[in-house]
Amino acid sequence: MTDIALIVNGENKTVSVPPETTLLKMLRENLNYTGSKLGCDVGDCGACTVLVDGLAVNACLILAAQAEGKEVLTIEGLSTLEKYHPIQKAFEDVAALQCGFCGPGMIMATKALIDQDQDLTKQEIKDALSGNLCRCTGYTKIIEGVVDAYQEITGKKIPATKPRVA
Amino acid sequence: MKPFDFIQPTTIDAAILALAEHNPNVRILNGGTDYLVELKHAAQSPGVVVDVSRLQDLRGIEIIDAGLRIGAGTTHTEIMADPLVKEYVPAMIDAAHTVGAVQTRNLGTLGGNLVTCVPSMDSGPTLLALDAKVIILGSKGTRQSSLTDFFIGPRRTSLEPDELLLEIIIPKENLGKPASFIKFGLRKGQALALVNAASALWVEGNKFKDVRIALGAVAPVVMRATKAEALLEGRVISEDLVQEAAKIAVGEAKPIDDFRASKEYRNDLIEVGTRRTLQAALTASNIKN
Amino acid sequence: MVDEVKVAEKTEKLESLRKIDDNLRLPSVPERIAFPKEIGVSAARMQTPAVGQRATRPDGRMHGLGQTKYIDDMFFPGMIHAKIKRAGIAHAKIKSIDVSEAEKMPGVMATLIGSEIPVNSFGPSLQDQPLLADDVVRHAGDGVAAVAAVTEQQALDALDKIKIEYEELPNVFDPVEAMKENAYKIHNNESNVYATKTIMKGDVEKGFADSNFIFERTFTTQMVEHVPMEPHASIGQWDANGRVTLHSSLGRITLGRADIARTLELPINRVRVIATIVGGNFGGKNEITTEPIIALLSKKTGRPVKCVFTREDEFISSTTRHPFVMEYKTGMSKEGKIMARKVRLICDGGAYCSWSETTLGKACILSAGPYNIENLHVDAYAVYTTKTMTGAMRGFGAPQVCFAYESHMDDMAAELGIEPLEIRLQNAFNEGSASPTGQVLEAVVVRDSLEMATERFGWKEWQR
Repeated sequence: MTDIALIVNGENKTVSVPPETTLLKMLRENLNYTGSKLGCDVGDCGACTVLVDGLAVNACLILAAQAEGKEVLTIEGLSTLEKYHPIQKAFEDVAALQCGFCGPGMIMATKALIDQDQDLTKQEIKDALSGNLCRCTGYTKIIEGVVDAYQEITGKKIPATKPRVA
Repeated sequence: MKPFDFIQPTTIDAAILALAEHNPNVRILNGGTDYLVELKHAAQSPGVVVDVSRLQDLRGIEIIDAGLRIGAGTTHTEIMADPLVKEYVPAMIDAAHTVGAVQTRNLGTLGGNLVTCVPSMDSGPTLLALDAKVIILGSKGTRQSSLTDFFIGPRRTSLEPDELLLEIIIPKENLGKPASFIKFGLRKGQALALVNAASALWVEGNKFKDVRIALGAVAPVVMRATKAEALLEGRVISEDLVQEAAKIAVGEAKPIDDFRASKEYRNDLIEVGTRRTLQAALTASNIKN
Repeated sequence: MVDEVKVAEKTEKLESLRKIDDNLRLPSVPERIAFPKEIGVSAARMQTPAVGQRATRPDGRMHGLGQTKYIDDMFFPGMIHAKIKRAGIAHAKIKSIDVSEAEKMPGVMATLIGSEIPVNSFGPSLQDQPLLADDVVRHAGDGVAAVAAVTEQQALDALDKIKIEYEELPNVFDPVEAMKENAYKIHNNESNVYATKTIMKGDVEKGFADSNFIFERTFTTQMVEHVPMEPHASIGQWDANGRVTLHSSLGRITLGRADIARTLELPINRVRVIATIVGGNFGGKNEITTEPIIALLSKKTGRPVKCVFTREDEFISSTTRHPFVMEYKTGMSKEGKIMARKVRLICDGGAYCSWSETTLGKACILSAGPYNIENLHVDAYAVYTTKTMTGAMRGFGAPQVCFAYESHMDDMAAELGIEPLEIRLQNAFNEGSASPTGQVLEAVVVRDSLEMATERFGWKEWQR
């Protein structure tokens, strides 16, 4: 067993787990942050995306011990009792999530992207979310949600692409 | 995952000691984007896993006497954002950008990409085209190796179990060499390369000089298209010549037929990839001059 | 609202009390996630006229907050994990299964093999699928044994210790081969064809005779996996009173409940199936998979048992979309009117029936497309092969035939030199047209929608 001290969603945590435990397993089973999902377990689907020191990573591809001393942010740490996070609000408003299983990963990847504070284009959004798979939405609504959230948070505008229906 | 013992050394020396002590039942873990997947499906425990992801000395990009030094533990994201890479080897940014998705690039390291040594690795062709060297540290001391000697076969490198890949050095004379990288995958993001290619060349007068063409995912290891290079060497630059070299490159590669792409399709991609990277490198050199 | 209160003979403003309270609080601990107060009903949902308005999902907020509990997010006291051993061989007779080594492995609490299941067969139309294969393995993803252990890894380790002796049987991978007289009979039936459908309308031979041109082509489609983001998962609890509670990612719980009760030989009122939000179904979670197995493992161990499919399990042992072999023969007048069509559909059903009958019926009805065809003959067959079984998936056979008849249409248009849109408009259903099965159609807008669609995506400009 290894003892791991880290910060999860702003709280100091100490956990004792076997070394082969992934960060995802530790978050879900030891700390009960079940928002991050296990979809493929090999880093293809992105449903387990969390932020480690501000960078989006697949929690299934990092050992809990490797996150020792780092700051981890999961979907549960975005909203507080007082404030609903703009990304989550945007995703809700445009109905970007259907079955919702990819949602936590999508939202965390979006947060990492918007946090970089760069001027974004739709193409860059697509590129940044290419590691997150969704089977329900066809991605259109998700991209819409990210654009809304980005505009809300940064105050910048992303030029709307020409609507397909006249 | 099968249970294993876990060591997190704080210095490179400690890591080497740990490797020597547990040799041969020892494996190195850094980014883990590939190795953890392997571990999850492994039938046997690796014994001891040495995590080198905390070694800051393994990271970083700097100019040294020999050239541009990139620490083996530098992540793809770090490479993409680095001003030195942008100035001297911009093709590496393109290559790093095609590795997996954001999540993979944030964890995965350049060294890891080389050590894994899959034929479709995205860092390989550019580094090979730029004649990059690797510096390896073991319990018997450091050694230097060219990439051609380093890659032995699919998932096999010349690295001994007790050795650690320290850094990748792009030789001084190749810094700023016009180069280009291209990757063909089944989708734009997070795809394994069907074929990837990189070319680097100098233009002297109106002639090709020191042409390097490297191809990935078309042979057991990342390979150089030496015959195509020889064709171009010292000849006057022309569109036809580039076309011809691309055709020769197809003959040198030995792509496989699998569920991702047929051999014929891969051959077409080799031709297109070689041609486009050569053209892009020529364009890059025009911009420079 | 009161904003002043009496505290020990002193009057304090609430505001200052809060400040004192805040100062006493430990630093750096943010509020735990809860449900944000400030947001009421989202603006989009306030709008009442439904048509033309944006709609939000009632469960959207919980999804976004990561608070939706899928099956894998549930933990019960004393819960253990089950894993299923897959055959890894396409077609074989099981000579023996030895789980004794596996039972001795650390952490293992119980094992289960097919012969221990009261009624080891299920299926929505034909009950031809075993939960765990006990005599014959019919595709590589067939489960042969299950292990329940304290951790998932222990269960996986124990799977490796299960010894199974197989006697290989001939493989039948091609549905056309499987239909032949001399093909190996996968289910010991007279034939590997287990469902047939026929539609006949008018006189096809006369129609062909009246045609100026005859077009023939065979189309094939491949197997498709649903790949729901959430793998199949279920948690079973067999309580002391002999009642079973199953939390499952099942999409059709009433149907599943009947199947579970049947396989466990329990009265249906002893089975309780609790569904939660399904993390993607697409038809793949329309029938039971491991539920009775984990119920029995729970009975053996007295613990709640959870089984979550790995991505590999998902691909090799859950249902997929039917591959079809579609032979089309169409007679055309020289003006481009369809005179007659003969269709032969062969549906590769995989190892077990699952939803093949339903799929076959729908494919059959839709195989002529939205076109007026007076002389039609459709023959359709569902065939067993030793591949992963195929079942329900979005469209139930309609996408396959749609690909075929529309491609066929394009071929004919090109051959006859008629514009692809024109040939479709010429043959499309009118108000009051009858479908191949004789259903008279009302409110038919196929022409309008074709014209509107081609105009909007710029078909005509693109043609130039």
